[in-house]
Amino acid sequence: MKYLIPTIFFVVFVIWYLTFLARRLDRLHHRVDNSWANLDVLLQKRAAVALEIAHSDIADPASSLLLTGAAYQARDASIQYRSNAESGLSGALGLLLEDSRHLATAADSQLLTELSALTDKIRVAIAIHTDAVSRSQMLRRKYVVRTFRLAGNAPLPVTYEFEADVL
Amino acid sequence: MLSKLLKIGIVCPYSWDTPGGVGNHVRDLAEYLIAQGHDVSVLAPASEDAVLPSYVINAGKPISIPYNGAVARILFGPVAYSRVRNWIAEGNFDLLHLHEPAIPSISLLACWAAEGPMVGTFHAAAKHQKIIFAIGPILEPAIEKLSARIAVSEAARLTLTDHLDTDAVVIPNGIYASRYMHGSPQSKWQGNTIGFIGRFEESRKGLSVLIEALPVISRFAPDVKVFVAGPGDPEEAIKSIDPQLRSRFEFLGKISESDKADFMASVALYVAPNTGGESFGIIVAEALAGGACVVASDIPAFDDLLGHGQYGALFESENSTELAKVIIDLLRNQDKRTQLAKSGKDHAQIFDWSVVAEQIYSVYEMSMVGGSKVRVAQDSRSWSRFLSKEEKP
Repeated sequence: MKYLIPTIFFVVFVIWYLTFLARRLDRLHHRVDNSWANLDVLLQKRAAVALEIAHSDIADPASSLLLTGAAYQARDASIQYRSNAESGLSGALGLLLEDSRHLATAADSQLLTELSALTDKIRVAIAIHTDAVSRSQMLRRKYVVRTFRLAGNAPLPVTYEFEADVL
Repeated sequence: MLSKLLKIGIVCPYSWDTPGGVGNHVRDLAEYLIAQGHDVSVLAPASEDAVLPSYVINAGKPISIPYNGAVARILFGPVAYSRVRNWIAEGNFDLLHLHEPAIPSISLLACWAAEGPMVGTFHAAAKHQKIIFAIGPILEPAIEKLSARIAVSEAARLTLTDHLDTDAVVIPNGIYASRYMHGSPQSKWQGNTIGFIGRFEESRKGLSVLIEALPVISRFAPDVKVFVAGPGDPEEAIKSIDPQLRSRFEFLGKISESDKADFMASVALYVAPNTGGESFGIIVAEALAGGACVVASDIPAFDDLLGHGQYGALFESENSTELAKVIIDLLRNQDKRTQLAKSGKDHAQIFDWSVVAEQIYSVYEMSMVGGSKVRVAQDSRSWSRFLSKEEKP
């Protein structure tokens, strides 16, 4: 009998702790979803701007072709090829911008400013997303979380392998 | 350029009536956002008789605790917690912006009590924060609720990654560069003059390093004068100066913003000999914007801010001999001074609020993607219902 009260306390504490962890995890998964949605939107926008650049006077026919291809690929890529496709688009944009900065006209330079503003935002979005992902991965590695399957059926979030320096 | 109008709640952990880096940052940010048409409410501790601007809500009387080489006036406790919760519940905010949420303060309480889009800005950069950061495991669940983290400098970001194992976006502190751009040089401050602004009584501001350097400097530049501006009692400082050199020092007391602009435009050199505890160095950014030639200690924050010596001269921190050498060299070389001042002034534009607030706003946008509003956290609600019945329906 004398162990009853401590046992009850212990059980209550364990239950509280497990719900606390589960809630934390749930929140982190939400954060990952949100930050990914955010990054996704920005990347779509970038693909759209890339297409516009491809159709403008900045691009010569050859790089226009390259850029259009890369932009479509980035837009239509399924999730596992997404990061490859986006890196491809970064590469194509990088190639073009390297030698076209000086010959851009006023109308075109507006496109380029838009692109560079977008690139800055993407860089921030990647940092936020990566942090959310690594946080949830860290929590999901916890022994308690694995034993009690607190994550349920939620898939393990994966980092988006984006080469930030290519941007 | 700022598009949708938002209801933003900002929490300032330090007392509103004691001026300080974080408080100034919060005030300027809030005023900038209000000028853009946003609805901003700032929650900050303040003493009862303090006169507060209309957008500031008083969270209660702060207590003083020693922190990071200075005395911090902050607030926490159950009463503060329930005030914070009410503020969140009634505010109906689109977003919360918490400043310095990693120290025990109302920022941390707000982080604990709220759920939804939250952005945290980390200001501190110090090695000796082990005690504060030792409670990391307790902080972690709260800190990870932040949808995005901002660090004000590379140094602050490193402190964060070291202690809390989390990354942040670096967005510098903002200044109103235009306020300092058009200072008119005043003859009383011109010549072989050295300027210093800050709470000189605090040893981390490093006035003593400058005082130690002066005997050497005055040997090479006999007409050198040092102007020290900032709040405080000069008595102590004067005692530590060599009696023969006391006439070289002039204490101006606290000076106004417009005087500050003139000051920066007049002095030959602006010296920031801080020995540490500085994470950004707003005054150095203002000096750059005001067109002063800056000499600063090579603590990480200043090294970063001055582009490793590109926008101002650096000397080894706490080394008065080297400080003297750098100052003498620059006092003798007008061309180098003008060139440093000019590149510094150009560089300072990136700290202007129009640039900085824009960056902060884009982080806001990113953390609001889920579309939900800020509300009182579920666990905090049930917890308080358990403890008391005062919860409003």
